[in-house]
Amino acid sequence: MTPPDSDTRAELDRLLQQCGRGDQGAFAELYRRTSPRLFALCLRMLRDRGTAEDVLQDSFVTVWRRASTFDATRGSAISWLITLTRNRAIDRLRAQRETALDPLTTLDYAAGKAVEDSTGDGLSPAAAAEGTQESGRLQRCLEELDPHPQRSIREAFFSGATYNELARRSNVPLGTMKSWIRRGLLQLRKCLEQ
Amino acid sequence: MNAPIDNEDTVLRYAEYALGVLDADERAAVEEEMARSPAAAQAVEHWQQLLTPMVPTTEEVAPPANVWARIQSTLGPRQRPRSDTGWWDSLHWWRGLALATGAATLVLLLFIVIPRHAATPPQTYLTATLQQNNGAPGWTVTVDLRGARAILVPATPLALPAGRAPELWLIPPGGRPIPVGMIARDTPSTLPLDAALLSRLSRAGTFAVSVEPPGGSPTGQPTGPVIAQGAVRSG
Repeated sequence: MTPPDSDTRAELDRLLQQCGRGDQGAFAELYRRTSPRLFALCLRMLRDRGTAEDVLQDSFVTVWRRASTFDATRGSAISWLITLTRNRAIDRLRAQRETALDPLTTLDYAAGKAVEDSTGDGLSPAAAAEGTQESGRLQRCLEELDPHPQRSIREAFFSGATYNELARRSNVPLGTMKSWIRRGLLQLRKCLEQ
Repeated sequence: MNAPIDNEDTVLRYAEYALGVLDADERAAVEEEMARSPAAAQAVEHWQQLLTPMVPTTEEVAPPANVWARIQSTLGPRQRPRSDTGWWDSLHWWRGLALATGAATLVLLLFIVIPRHAATPPQTYLTATLQQNNGAPGWTVTVDLRGARAILVPATPLALPAGRAPELWLIPPGGRPIPVGMIARDTPSTLPLDAALLSRLSRAGTFAVSVEPPGGSPTGQPTGPVIAQGAVRSG
């Protein structure tokens, strides 16, 4: 059996490289293949449909303009796309939050829980097969972390929140939140690079 | 030579950038560093690759069809397979219009921009009225988010010292000024807005005009006096 993820990875890499050479058909196909996953990520981070649509649009405009800088020897297309989309979402969140200083709701904790559920044991066999090796390794390494760093890193990743916001939500001093996340990040890297 | 980065604090700052916990100014600082140092860019990239597998492969939501239409419209007629919106997306048309006529353009814009605005979803346009320091109106800015461009119409032509020109800046909340482009003193100007700039553009931001050498500020930050400014508002 061919592992589906390596096929998919190679195809997406090829499509993004073709975008870099100005191939509009490849761009349409790349959008068709990856936009549902990236839109789900935008919705999860921004929690507003209109804003998520704006950020998705903005991300793909940037994908087209920057596709020629993608280098498949340095990482996968999907990782490149996710990083670009997350950066756009985070910039948008910063622009919103630093103005409004909106009170943060308990929704975040619920979102954190949902993340754990959807990435934990609940995967269907097909989905688990599609999940890349990297994803499996990352999950295992995340699970090795202490509960506080583990939860804080997941929440930070999916909420795009700053240290300050994370500390306020968890009701801990800023220094505590920083040390949880920093400790967790270093442990995570050590585990992944073993 | 690019020595590998092994200082723990530095490594952590890149990791924090990749995770997304830094505030806007700290993020901008890391981005500047990445632009300067390939080693920094590589270190950040490494962290990003470590973390992106966190995004579940199973979670998918199909975006509405109009998002793809908006992407094509933003990229413009020459960059998409088939032009279906015509002159509205032609920057040349707008440039021509802006340069050819002065006051008449303002009248035209009012007729063209407003009805289209009424027919399109919210958040398609942002506006700003830039006031001079004496309170007199300086420029009206209309940002066409779909078309990724800003149209500036001067209200009262300003006198500037010889060899100086006005430059438009966007000041995001809590951030440093981002250059948008050089504008004309006495005729309408159209400036393309790139995606990076659009992403920093929100209703909380401010547009400002400073007096600079003709090619623009040599430093990337305003060097001359600010002669007009105004808050960004919904269109």
